[in-house]
Amino acid sequence: MSEYAVQITRLSYSYPDGTRALDGIDFDVRLGERVALVGPSGAGKSTLLLHLNGVLRGSGTVRIMGRSLAEGDMRQIRRQVGLVFQDPNDQLFCPTVFEDIAFGPLNLGVPPEEIPGRAAKALRDVGLEQAMRNRSSHHLSLGERKRVALAAVLVMEPAILALDEPTSNLDPRNRRHLIELMAALPATLVLGTHDLEMVLALCPRTVLLDRGKIWADGRTEELLSNAQLMEAHGLEVPLSLRPRS
Amino acid sequence: MKHSFIDRYAELDSPLHALEARTKIVGFTALTAAVLMLPPAAGTSFLLFFFLVAILMGVSQIPLEFIAGRTLMILPFVLLAAIAAPWRNDIGFAWFSALLTRSLLCLVFLVLLTNTTRFAELLRGLRRMGVPRVLVLNLGFLYRYIFVLADEIMRMRLASECRRVGRLPLRRELSLLTSMLGTLLLRSFERAERMYQAMLSRGYSADFPVAAPRRFSWRDLVFLFLVALFLYTIGRTSA
Repeated sequence: MSEYAVQITRLSYSYPDGTRALDGIDFDVRLGERVALVGPSGAGKSTLLLHLNGVLRGSGTVRIMGRSLAEGDMRQIRRQVGLVFQDPNDQLFCPTVFEDIAFGPLNLGVPPEEIPGRAAKALRDVGLEQAMRNRSSHHLSLGERKRVALAAVLVMEPAILALDEPTSNLDPRNRRHLIELMAALPATLVLGTHDLEMVLALCPRTVLLDRGKIWADGRTEELLSNAQLMEAHGLEVPLSLRPRS
Repeated sequence: MKHSFIDRYAELDSPLHALEARTKIVGFTALTAAVLMLPPAAGTSFLLFFFLVAILMGVSQIPLEFIAGRTLMILPFVLLAAIAAPWRNDIGFAWFSALLTRSLLCLVFLVLLTNTTRFAELLRGLRRMGVPRVLVLNLGFLYRYIFVLADEIMRMRLASECRRVGRLPLRRELSLLTSMLGTLLLRSFERAERMYQAMLSRGYSADFPVAAPRRFSWRDLVFLFLVALFLYTIGRTSA
């Protein structure tokens, strides 16, 4: 088995309107590693995440758990890569929370009688009450919806978890809960985010993406405390890394 | 933002709520069809229907004012359609009152059906009764996203209110409304793209599988038998 969860070589992608979103990306993630993708808005973070499970296909090669997307079984790839979207309203499209959580496993051929048990575990894992299963996603707060979106992916037991702006629009308490939750997950983690304090708390490695290219790849603290680099790419050194005056 | 849901009382625990969705779909559709087929002069039968509606409303435990509110909300449209009837011919008034009565009964049946069955179960029932998958899928999306769209409209209206004082000339108001609708259409289109990507990400191929549906039980048989008995009595009364 490959020691890499993700291996991407010379990946380029342009949207139909001609916008070049990714430009020759080389990017590897080892099994069990936690990596943050940081960069300004429009840097290509979401586009790169959408390539991890083959929803978008650019030129170049993407290998997941050693297997190329081009030749791999897509069902297997989507079982291995769980993608959590930035806006939970995009991801929770079923009439009830339970059906949203059941959607992925049923598509992957999990027997229907196993679903209630797996859904209950997923809700427990994200710290939500079982009574929530019959509610409509629209009744939930944003924090709860984000957790349900995560549960809907965790229930597929992915080896790689890719999250797009997981803490955006969350209040401090919900943000803290979500960070603790992610810290406890055993999966390989790829986070696309602007939340640099969260990156410091969760990811030993950070990749800086801007205008579709990788500009830096290294240890999180070193990279995020490089003021010149951060400012050149529309970011700022996190407060916790700034020298106290 | 908060919205009123069409299945607001579907979580109650009454004998009507305990029935399987298909049973209620069949039962209420049969009752609705029977009401529509009653001749305008069948006064006793209409009374029997009101009696049945009173029993069902009591059993369902749904607050009376909610049912009345929902029913009366639609009534102006019915009145609009029926208003010309009394002057049309000799039986005009009978036709008018029959139309009003029928509409009232049908609306109460609809409110009872949608508020004793969670929308998801209703969809599941329709699917299991052979309604095409795509239609059921779209109804599900409609229920899920109508509130998201309503939120977006409310936010756009708020944003527009914040940047003006008082009313604008009608032409400007209309032009503003048009551009809001256009923006909403574009946003919906983009959201649909993202939703589809989210569906693909969780292994969607072409089918929408269903987990753990409610099972058909003796209660469902009893309900269907009672509906059939009632319809038989109505048939005998109005014959």
